[in-house]
Amino acid sequence: MTRLLTGVYLRRTIALVIFLGGWELLSRNGYIDPFYLPPPSAIWGWVQGQFATGAIFPHMQATFGAALIGLALGIIAGIMLGFTAALMPYLAELLEPVMAMLNAIPRVILAPLFIIWLGIDLSSKVALSFILVVVLTFFAVYNGIKDVDYRLVERVRTLGGGPLVLIREVYVPSVVAWVMGNLKVAVGFAFTGAVVGEFVASARGLGYLLSYAQSTYNATMTMALIFLIMVFVMILFTLAGLLERHLLRWKYA
Amino acid sequence: MLTIEQLSLAFGRNEPVLEDVDLTLEPGRFMSLIGPSGCGKSTLLRAVTGLQRPSSGRVHLNVERKHVAFLFQDDALLPWRSARDNVALGLRNQGRSKRAARAIADEWLAAVGLDGFGDRWPRQLSGGQRKRVAIAQCLALQPRLLLMDEPFASLDAIVRHYLTSDLLNWVERERLTVLMVTHDLEEAIALSDQVVLLGNGPRAHIKGRFDVPLERPRDLVQVRTDPRFTALAQQLWRALSEEVAPLASGIGRPALKVVNE
Repeated sequence: MTRLLTGVYLRRTIALVIFLGGWELLSRNGYIDPFYLPPPSAIWGWVQGQFATGAIFPHMQATFGAALIGLALGIIAGIMLGFTAALMPYLAELLEPVMAMLNAIPRVILAPLFIIWLGIDLSSKVALSFILVVVLTFFAVYNGIKDVDYRLVERVRTLGGGPLVLIREVYVPSVVAWVMGNLKVAVGFAFTGAVVGEFVASARGLGYLLSYAQSTYNATMTMALIFLIMVFVMILFTLAGLLERHLLRWKYA
Repeated sequence: MLTIEQLSLAFGRNEPVLEDVDLTLEPGRFMSLIGPSGCGKSTLLRAVTGLQRPSSGRVHLNVERKHVAFLFQDDALLPWRSARDNVALGLRNQGRSKRAARAIADEWLAAVGLDGFGDRWPRQLSGGQRKRVAIAQCLALQPRLLLMDEPFASLDAIVRHYLTSDLLNWVERERLTVLMVTHDLEEAIALSDQVVLLGNGPRAHIKGRFDVPLERPRDLVQVRTDPRFTALAQQLWRALSEEVAPLASGIGRPALKVVNE
């Protein structure tokens, strides 16, 4: 740990301090226009103000709610669809091209459609989050099961295992491994879905604030929100990483 | 223990790899199958376990399935299960409780020289240690028939020697019936009572059955200097060469291991 602090992390911290300090100085002394590039202190001030008054909490709640519900539903549905498609070739025949197409397009273009169908409330954001996550999870699980190490299936069978034992000992752990390997990407997707959905049309949420900031040409607020979303996603990434390391501890030991 | 009658094996609608094979394995006997690669000897073993369905003929096991153990060529264990749980799996499939199965698994891990390794994940073990876990996995089931598909092919010479002699001790102690597939002619003679030579595939047939005139139990090192061993090795080598030669004629002399004479 001490070696880390004196090594790469120390150098990165120094670089960051120089970067932010330079930015702050240039902005304050009028070398760059704060209208376009406000100083870090102003951005931080906005964030502090929001948390001090608590004004941001309902927006955070809306975005986190949409992202996490979309993430959970997307993963559950993706696992179920992937599992059934892998075990039922006829279903896979129908499902695979649809999923492949959904995978190929930038799925956020569905946002206007979800707004028309579901309105500007939470459900349209959940839907967008969901559609981003479900396709990713579907392919992870579907390909994961098709690529299950067949030697393991044979081992378990020769050791007297029936279909239930096979699912418990081989298929479920394989699927967990595949889903966990994609969890960080899925978290990012879920947040993208929620924020983009709010950006398109809503009355609450970080994406809504972002859209408001943009329409009022408020660069400070825009950059503060970008910073906040970055921090939130990083926190979720870390949590996802911890969960992955726990569930896949056989891989990291 | 095991009777195979007029067995033919094919993958899908392809030409059979193996045709009209008859084999009888008496209890307590150790039989090796050798032959050029691609002759279907591994497929034959898979047919005995039920992993491969015969296209014609039959495999008759005179022993319950749960008393048949299969030691595979590679050492693939369930990567997400500890060494202990990998060994316990077969026991749990036999209806034992998790706790009882784990307790027995620990005993078998100790018996194969892995005392205290129960909590390790497979990727924390060396190739030889994984093989030992796989052996414990088989022996824990207290099998009466042990099937082995080139069980030590991937190991280095020293590990291979120790594992083979350890396993041979178990075979002798438990009077196990064994059917082993190998491409190592000397290993086949050193271990078995009978060596069965399969011809070239597709449509491979049995080309010869050779009884090994050496008493058991044997010392794996000393047995190789026995004149009866070397005589049989030469005889088998000639028979095998006839099968390999047609394949190898296009690429010159076969670069195979020379039997000491």
